[in-house]
Amino acid sequence: MKYALLIYEDEAFYGPDKTGSKIEEIVGQHVVFAQELGARRLGGAGLKGTASATTVRTSAGKKTVHDGPFAEAKEQLGGFYLIEAADLDEAIAIAKKVPVPQDGAIEVRPLLGP
Amino acid sequence: MNGSAIERVFRASSGRIVAALVARFRDLTLAEDAFSECCVRAVGAWQVGGVPHDPAAWLYQVAVRVALDALRRQRTRQHMMPDPPPPEPTAEDSMIDDRHIIPDERLRLIFICCHPAVAPDSRAALTLRLICGLTMTEIARALLIEETALAQRLVRAKRTIADAAVSFELPAPEYWAERLEAVLSTLEIAYSKAHEDAAGLTTHAGFAAEMLHLSTMMVGLLPDDGDAHALAALLHYAEARRPARLDSSGMMIPLSLQNPVFWRREFIVKANAFLARAVQLSPESARTLQAKLQACWCERLTLSDPAPWDRVRHIYDELLLVRDDPIVRLNRIVAVAELDGPDAALAELDSLGHKGLEQFGPYHAVHADLLVRAGRLAEARAAYEAVLALDPPPAERRWLADRLAGLPTGQ
Repeated sequence: MKYALLIYEDEAFYGPDKTGSKIEEIVGQHVVFAQELGARRLGGAGLKGTASATTVRTSAGKKTVHDGPFAEAKEQLGGFYLIEAADLDEAIAIAKKVPVPQDGAIEVRPLLGP
Repeated sequence: MNGSAIERVFRASSGRIVAALVARFRDLTLAEDAFSECCVRAVGAWQVGGVPHDPAAWLYQVAVRVALDALRRQRTRQHMMPDPPPPEPTAEDSMIDDRHIIPDERLRLIFICCHPAVAPDSRAALTLRLICGLTMTEIARALLIEETALAQRLVRAKRTIADAAVSFELPAPEYWAERLEAVLSTLEIAYSKAHEDAAGLTTHAGFAAEMLHLSTMMVGLLPDDGDAHALAALLHYAEARRPARLDSSGMMIPLSLQNPVFWRREFIVKANAFLARAVQLSPESARTLQAKLQACWCERLTLSDPAPWDRVRHIYDELLLVRDDPIVRLNRIVAVAELDGPDAALAELDSLGHKGLEQFGPYHAVHADLLVRAGRLAEARAAYEAVLALDPPPAERRWLADRLAGLPTGQ
């Protein structure tokens, strides 16, 4: 069973543009974590800040391009993992080990399809 | 066998049969549908051919065939083949003994129904539906929701379980504690809903009986788990006191003023046995300590027996070591007031701080009572008004309004 682990946290914690010591530290933790996951990690990435986001919206068939993320929120999607897990319990156990520097949430979502 | 006797057979066997079907077919909806279909067939078949030697075994055999048939139909539909005729129960079905053919998979099913990925309210509803065999109407009434909303909730819960790949096996040891906690807290919350209806005059009383039954079943399925025993003890103590919880006008009577003569001894005896085992297995668990609190009250045989405030405070001290939260502290303060007087209790209450407790009715109720005892009546009046503004349940409201009305005026 494949799951996406979506990492939501307040990107302001990392400072402007997600550069600096805090982001280096967390990236280091993710590298260690990804090694631990081994073959169970199918993919994943950290994301640049929402300031860099562009949104293509379709409304009544018409496409428009907007600056910024699709929705403003207190916590933003900051990165994700794609993992292979036996069942939801294992996926939750892995989600609990995802490095989170302060407050944040990991959403565990099964992938569509086999 | 008449209609209601047949209904009772369905109800009594539904949990085991549905659980065994779920374990075999790994599909909650298929299991539930197959069970309802086999009940429909039973009504017809039993009227003609008489009730089989073991009705549960008959139901299980037929349900398995119905489920297999549904799966076959699904497959043949995909290949554009005509449906095969539905299977008929055979003569042997009437002879089989269910103990040998229905594996007891109820524990597995409870863990599935109460997975933390399922919304807490839906966990209770799903458990009552699949394990206890309650009808949708009964569950909707017990949980105080519309039947249509309940149906949607159950569909959503079953979809979550299938889509997110909740395991159909018992939880692995590393997930056991968290998963069991979700099960026990589901039963606890579901029972407290039934307990709110203090008089037990509505359907809740029957619902409470189901919860007692479930907690007893959990103990049977998990004979070495302390928390399961402690929960069974807690529910049985609470249910024992139900007849004494209200006066004839429907007003709440606090635990220390309840007349033990009205408590149901048979439940207390059972609760004591569950507690004794819980104390052996996990003496320091918060649930065991809470059950011990109930036990000291339930030792009273009449109102003239001394109230066990000393032991109550001592157990709260132990409880604080494993669960230090404002609610435990608040309850401990009630005992402090009895032992050391209202001023000592008020000092402790002040040191609690008010943060997060302003919206908690019992905080204001305890505060009001302490202020009355300390002779600070104007403040007491304000505290009673604060708790009444939080819309307590009817029986509590009566008690509080009565206390407020009894305050001397002109102060």
